[in-house]
Amino acid sequence: MHWDRDEAKKTIERILSLAGPGEWEVDLSARTSSHTRFARNEISTSGFVEDVDLSVTARRDGRSGTVGTNDLSPSGLRAALARAAEMRGLMPVDPEAVEMLPAQKYPVLEKYDDATAGARAAERVSGVKATLGLARRRSLTAAGFFENGVSHRAIGNSKGNFGYHLSTDAELSVTMRTADGTGSGWASGSSPRFHDLDAKALARRAADKGIASAAPRDVPPGDYTVILEPAAVAALLQSLQFGTLQARAADEGRSVFSKQGGGGRVGEKVAHESVTLRTDPFDARLPGTPWSVRGGFGEGAADSLPNRRIAWIEKGVLKTLYADRYWAGKTGVEATPFPGSLVLDGGTRSLEDLIAETERGLLVTRFWYIRAVNPQTWQLTGLTRDGLFLIEKGKITHPATNLRFNESPLVMLQNVEGMTAAVPAGRMVVPAIKSREFTFTSKSDAV
Amino acid sequence: MRSDSWSRGWPGSGGGVHALPPGSRSRFLHGPTRRDFLRSCGTSALAIAAVELIPGAFVTRRASGAVPPPDRLEALGAVALDRARSLGASYADIRINRYRTQTVLLRSTPDWATGAINNVPSVTDEESFGFGVRVIHGGAWGFAASADVDKDTIARMTAEAVGIARAHARLRGEPVRLAKVSPAKDTYGTPIEKDPFGVGIAAKVGLLQQVGDEVRKVPGIFSVTGFMEQRQEDRFFASTEGSVIRQTIVQVSPEYTAVARDLKARKTKTRTFRPDAVCGGYEFIERAGMVENARRIGEEAVNHLKAPPVAAGKKDLVLLPTHLALTIHESIGHSTELDRAMGYEANFAGTSFLTTDKLGKFRVGSDIVNIFGDRILPQALSTCGYDDDGARTKRFPILKNGIFVGYQTTREQAHWIGQEESMACCYADSYASVPFQRMPNVWLAAGEKRCALDDLAAGVDDGVLIDGRGSYSIDHQRYNFQFGGDAFWEIKNGKVGPMIADVAYQSRTPDFWQACDLIGDQSTWRNVGLNRDGKGEPGQINAMSHGCPASRFRGIAVIRTE
Repeated sequence: MHWDRDEAKKTIERILSLAGPGEWEVDLSARTSSHTRFARNEISTSGFVEDVDLSVTARRDGRSGTVGTNDLSPSGLRAALARAAEMRGLMPVDPEAVEMLPAQKYPVLEKYDDATAGARAAERVSGVKATLGLARRRSLTAAGFFENGVSHRAIGNSKGNFGYHLSTDAELSVTMRTADGTGSGWASGSSPRFHDLDAKALARRAADKGIASAAPRDVPPGDYTVILEPAAVAALLQSLQFGTLQARAADEGRSVFSKQGGGGRVGEKVAHESVTLRTDPFDARLPGTPWSVRGGFGEGAADSLPNRRIAWIEKGVLKTLYADRYWAGKTGVEATPFPGSLVLDGGTRSLEDLIAETERGLLVTRFWYIRAVNPQTWQLTGLTRDGLFLIEKGKITHPATNLRFNESPLVMLQNVEGMTAAVPAGRMVVPAIKSREFTFTSKSDAV
Repeated sequence: MRSDSWSRGWPGSGGGVHALPPGSRSRFLHGPTRRDFLRSCGTSALAIAAVELIPGAFVTRRASGAVPPPDRLEALGAVALDRARSLGASYADIRINRYRTQTVLLRSTPDWATGAINNVPSVTDEESFGFGVRVIHGGAWGFAASADVDKDTIARMTAEAVGIARAHARLRGEPVRLAKVSPAKDTYGTPIEKDPFGVGIAAKVGLLQQVGDEVRKVPGIFSVTGFMEQRQEDRFFASTEGSVIRQTIVQVSPEYTAVARDLKARKTKTRTFRPDAVCGGYEFIERAGMVENARRIGEEAVNHLKAPPVAAGKKDLVLLPTHLALTIHESIGHSTELDRAMGYEANFAGTSFLTTDKLGKFRVGSDIVNIFGDRILPQALSTCGYDDDGARTKRFPILKNGIFVGYQTTREQAHWIGQEESMACCYADSYASVPFQRMPNVWLAAGEKRCALDDLAAGVDDGVLIDGRGSYSIDHQRYNFQFGGDAFWEIKNGKVGPMIADVAYQSRTPDFWQACDLIGDQSTWRNVGLNRDGKGEPGQINAMSHGCPASRFRGIAVIRTE
């Protein structure tokens, strides 16, 4: 089911016209997506999916109930609305309820591309074929995932608010393993535009990494200067979106950005002066929505605020924490949208410069299975994967056996010694970063 | 709405497992997805409006939660199977499924301005219905799915699936080959006493309120979050081999977490009560001791906050089932998935140290370690009658006396290791997801000799008793792991002492399981359920149980996580 702006508006108006008394919010989306998986140098499974999703929330006097359905028939809509109203009646009052937003002015974000919306299996085959061909020529085993899709999304409420967003996205990731199983390389690209993805270049990069990482030698766990490639940086920063940047967690003493005695550390220097971290939904390289989309459990009523550029950390100083409308009202700060579309501003060095300027250190391609160990210090644990290399006297000397780290990204951002330009990675735009005293705690035999 | 390519936005770079906090709809940053479902019918007057037939179009729409009757499902299924055959597919199956999920949440926190306790409720009812068609054509797989369950869409999407298989057949090596199954015409239903969707919202919120109030009687509690989820899957499966299977799976999972904090020390500690999530009805929530345990959970949250940090070093660990379950899941469950071992998940979840040459030979654990894969174990979350390949579910050994003897397989995979039969581990988490190998219930057998918790602690000079789940991370071949817990007690000279804090342990899967020197008896065994295991691209979730007794592991590296 695909709607243009007018059709989406009419659909939402129709839903609202069927709704009973009280206040109502509607969130409507439709997605068509298509993917190809490959492994062991052949295509494995693939799929094509058309799906819809409607969420209606009934509100009145601080009570609310939400119903999700994919049944958009008249009787399906009536049933969903009646159920939401019924649940609203059965729920206690929410003391943290906020007023529904009146009509907002949402930015128009250009995240749509016809070719990406229309690409099917046949369009992906040429990229997969090139990847598998390169794998065979270099005696490697390729596995990967290639997906593209189009999403139509609309929100509206009974106070006259309405928003519409049309977007496409494409993603290709490739892993190349050596025949002896001692080397593995990986590369990934994503864009709102299918034709931005250069399958051959990604395959080459994964293959080069795979071959270079073969037959690694043990390096002892301990503190190292690290050069984190953009994918590794993005993986560390991703956890910012799961509570670390939340004003409420900081104010209530539950986060790394809490002050002793309570309250947030806004205004304090928390990172190296070269660190500026922003949300920029307008960056064409990044996914973004015109309105704030809830990030997760406990993120509160951030839904539907117009998205905008926000500096979270500027020149190392914590400038803003994410506050939903309830918390912003309670604490007298401005409400912000959810911290999506993250950009970490880069520097002027090249990756080669950073390596050449390193006496002894480790080059990290990416991380795997990162989990928070201690929210109060933002200590994370996780492992290196798909290419870890020892640097000695400005040169890569040999591949290293993977290591587990236990470290806080905040310490990493305090110990920055240099950055490359920022590039898209992990659905953010981030640089490669050189940082000192990054702590690894044990060896992993995994390849 | 399935913007799956965003799904890698789970916390951390790897969507290994348990990335989602309870109630999270954040799997897709692009927006919440409703593959899980919900509709608490209960006493609702609108609940059972049955099937709406629109003349001419043969459109089947459940107006409010009813699944179409069997003959209609079969007629719809036949559209796909006939179309697939006529297009030259050598095999096809269709799943027409409905998913319902109800999530009830209650959080109590002091008001920022007044300090008065705010009880913040939320409830979400979700339901989805749709179909997915899978075909083999020219030896390659094709799959297509839609939420429009009507004859025309089913025929069109079947052609899409065949088109995908055709486009991909050239880049396929050996043709897909399926292990034999006996075609089944059968039904299966989770045995339940009390339909969880028939219990009113007020009763559920009331129970969580009672829990919160009870926890709050303990001085020093900052917040309490109670959570309850009920799921139902109504699955219809039909294949060109003649199987027609209808199943209804019902799952319930309650839990709550108490938080204590010390603002001056910038410290927060939690304690979670997590009864076994099960396949079953609301009776399990009623019997779970939610209120009875509340005071203890509150006290342990406060004690956790005051507890001294552990001294790092090699220690003996006594692990309770609520903790050990996830350790089994990560180290044994994932490493014995055949698709991982063969390299099919190499690009995301990773591969496995348990390569096929090790089958039947490699020692993973000590002699006393016996682990089973199982989809027939009563009340376990992955238990059902047939898997999404149409294969009858079963129980099979994975580790026998510590030796690796069995992989989890699907029909496609069995012949990869020279087996004739699938272990029936095929599952798709939605009508719109491609079925693939998913973890069954993987459980550790209890010891035969009498061995209670005291007996496990008795031989320990310097150790830690661990309960519940903390932070879990394991490498992409399932060797090196670091696991935390929810609560820790010191063991000194054979006795369990006071609580300690900031504990995690690091080990390597075979080292760890070979260090297992004593396993508790059946009295310590619990059927612990886990939700939201992540695997695959696009990402899919899964629920399974990891029953286990309390067990002891010698000389494991413990680190301090401050």
